[in-house]
Amino acid sequence: MVMKRRTAIIAALSFAAAVVLILWKPTVLIYGLQAAGLYAAVAIPMGLVLGIVHIVNLAHGEFMMVAAYAAYFGCKALGMDPLLAIIPTAIVTAVFGWVIFQLTIRRALKAPELNQLILTFGLAIAFTQTINLIFTSQTYKIPLDYVSASMDIGDLTFGVWSFVFVAVAIIFAYGVKFFLTKTMTGKAAVAVGQNPRGAAIVGIDVYRTYGLVFALALALVGAMGALFLTKSAIFPSVGSPFTMKSFCLIAMAGIGNIPGILGASVLLGVSENFLRAFRPTRDWAEIVFFVLIIAVILARSLKGRKS
Amino acid sequence: MKRVMFALAVLALIVGSAYAQGTIKIGGIWTLADITGKQGSAAAQLAVEEINAAGGVLGKKLELIVVDDEGKADKAAAAVEKLATVDKVDVFVGGMASGAELGKIPAFKKYNKVVMSTGAAGGTVEKGLGPSPDSDFYFHLHPWDYNQGASYAEGWDAIQKKYPNIQIKKIFLAYEEGAFGKSSWDATKILFGSDNRYIVDGASFKSALLGGGDYTAVLEAAKAFKPDLFIWAGYDADALPLLEQSKAMKFSPGIYLGAPPGWPIDFGASKLSPNVMLYGMWSTAMNNNNPVSAKFFKNYVAKYKEEPATYFAPLAYSAVYILAEGIKNAGTTETTALIKALEATKYVSPLGETITFKPSNIIKHQGITRQKILQWQNGEQQVIWPFEAATAAPVYPFPAWK
Repeated sequence: MVMKRRTAIIAALSFAAAVVLILWKPTVLIYGLQAAGLYAAVAIPMGLVLGIVHIVNLAHGEFMMVAAYAAYFGCKALGMDPLLAIIPTAIVTAVFGWVIFQLTIRRALKAPELNQLILTFGLAIAFTQTINLIFTSQTYKIPLDYVSASMDIGDLTFGVWSFVFVAVAIIFAYGVKFFLTKTMTGKAAVAVGQNPRGAAIVGIDVYRTYGLVFALALALVGAMGALFLTKSAIFPSVGSPFTMKSFCLIAMAGIGNIPGILGASVLLGVSENFLRAFRPTRDWAEIVFFVLIIAVILARSLKGRKS
Repeated sequence: MKRVMFALAVLALIVGSAYAQGTIKIGGIWTLADITGKQGSAAAQLAVEEINAAGGVLGKKLELIVVDDEGKADKAAAAVEKLATVDKVDVFVGGMASGAELGKIPAFKKYNKVVMSTGAAGGTVEKGLGPSPDSDFYFHLHPWDYNQGASYAEGWDAIQKKYPNIQIKKIFLAYEEGAFGKSSWDATKILFGSDNRYIVDGASFKSALLGGGDYTAVLEAAKAFKPDLFIWAGYDADALPLLEQSKAMKFSPGIYLGAPPGWPIDFGASKLSPNVMLYGMWSTAMNNNNPVSAKFFKNYVAKYKEEPATYFAPLAYSAVYILAEGIKNAGTTETTALIKALEATKYVSPLGETITFKPSNIIKHQGITRQKILQWQNGEQQVIWPFEAATAAPVYPFPAWK
C-alpha cells in the first residue's frame, strides 16, 4: 500500500514536472528524453550482465566501440546503411562476446571481485589500444540525411532522430524483461543469477547460462554500436565514457532493476539539459551526474540504516 | 672457426661505423597513433628519400629515426634522451601537442642540438623555451596561438574589405570545454571583442572526443544570438554531428566556420560540407597554383597510396628540406654554425609561402605566422585568404538548410 502510494506520488510529480517543462522550456524535455534514451539503451545490457553474471564489465563501452568499428567498415565495404547493419553487427558482437567470455571472464568468475575488475579493465585497454594501432585516432563518421530530420512546432525547431534511442531503450528494457520472465532460458538465467549453486543442483548448466546471457547482452551492445554510428563519430576512446555512465545508472536504479534504468536515465538526461538551458548553470551539466549518483546512494544508505 | 667469427664481427663493426659516418641522422618525434604524427612522419621520410635520391647532403645520406611520444610529456622527454644518447642524432624534427613538447624542452636544452619543430602552438611552450640565446637552437615552424588569432582577425578584416557583401558584426564561438576550447574563447574575446567592433558571445560544449557529443544546448544559444559568423572550436569528432544537429535545428548563420586541428576522413564527401569555412595551412587545391605543393602531393600519394589529410604532412616535409638546406649551407651539423645557416632560410614551401625565420614574442626563430581561411567547396578545401594564395572566392552566405 505504502509502495503504491509512493509510486503514485512520484508519477504525479514527474507528470507535473513534465507539464511545467513543456510550457516553460520544451527543449529541456525534448533533448533530455533523447539523451536519456541513449544512456538507457547503452546501460541496459550492462545491467543484464551485472544482474545475472554478477560481473562489472568495465569493457562495456569498449565492446560498443568495437561493434561500431565493425559496423562502420562493414557499411563502407558493402555500401550499406548503418540501420541495415544492426542485426549483423549484433550477431557478430554476440559471437565475439561469447568467445571473450569463454577465454577470459569465465575463468575469473570465482576470483575476487577486484580480479574481475582488473580483467575487464584490461580488456577495455586492450580493445582501445588495438583499435588505435590499426585505425589510429582518426575519427570516422558516416554522413546520413535522416539524422538531420527535424520537426517544427510554432517557433520551435528540433531534431527528432535521437528519439530512436528512446524507442530502442524501451524495446531493450521490455525485451529483456520478457526474456527473463517468459522464456525457459530467461527463467533459468534468473535462477542462476539468484542462486547459482541451487540452479546447478536442479540441472541448469550455470556456465552455459552465463555465456548465453553475456552473448545476449553483447548482441544488444552490438546493435547499439551500429545505431550509435548514425549519431556520433567513432574513434578508439569513444566507448569508455559510456562504461562509467552505464554503471552509475545501474547503481542509481538498483542492480537487477532493468526498467529502473529507464527512470534513472530520464532523471539524468532531463537534469543535464535543464542546467544547460541557462547560461549561469551551463557548465554544471557534467556535475549533475555525480550529484545525482551521490544523492541516490546516500538516500539508500540512510533508508537502509533507518530500516 | 672462432677466429673467423671474431674477424667477421670486427669487420661488421668497422663497416657499420663507416656507414654511420656516412649519414646525417635526424631524430623525429611524433605521436604516431594520431593522424598528424602518422602522416607527418611519413612526409618527413618522403623528404629524406627525395633528398637522398638527389645526392644527399654534404655527400652523406640523411637518415630519419622516428620515436613515438604517444602524446605524453614523459614519453616525449624519453624520446629525446634515446635519440640523443643511443642513436646519436645530429638534429631533431617533429612535434604536435604542446603538452608533449613541454616535456621535451629540458632534454632539448641539455643536448643543445638544432630542433625544427612542426607543432606546439601553445604559448606555454614558448615561455618554457625562454628568450634568446638559450632557445636559439629551437626553430618553430608552426604559428603560435597568438599568431593564429591575429591572422584570423587580419583575414576577416581583409575579406570584408574585398567582398563588401560579407559583413560581420556578431560573432558566436562554440568552444569545447577543455583547454583548447577555453584558450580559443579567451583569444576570441580579446581579438574580436576588445575594441567593440564586433559583438562576441560564446558557449561551451563537451566534445565527443571527451565523452560529449550533444550540441543542442550550445546551438540553441547560438541560434538565439543570430551570429553573422559562427565558429566552433572542437575536434574532428564534432565536425559532422555538429553540422547534422545544426541542420536538424535549422541553424544557418552567415558564415559557418569550424576550427578543429583535423577533419574527419571523407568530410568533403558529405552533403553537409559545402560552404563550411575552416582555418588551416594547406589544401590539395593549392596543387593547382603551387608547384612545390603539387610535387609533394604527387610523391606522397605515389609512396603511401593515400592523400595527406592534414597540413602537418607538408609542414614536416618542409621541416626536413629546411634542415637539409641549412646543413648544406653550414657545411656541418654543429649547432652554432647550423643556427647561423638556418637564420638565412628562404624556403619556398608547399604551404603557399616562403618560410623565413623571425623573432616572435619570446624566441628568436619563428617560421610561419599566418594561418589561412579556407572553405569547403565541391568536396575540396579552397583557400579564401591570404589572397596571394587564394584558390577560390568565398561562397556567402552559408545557404539555409533545405
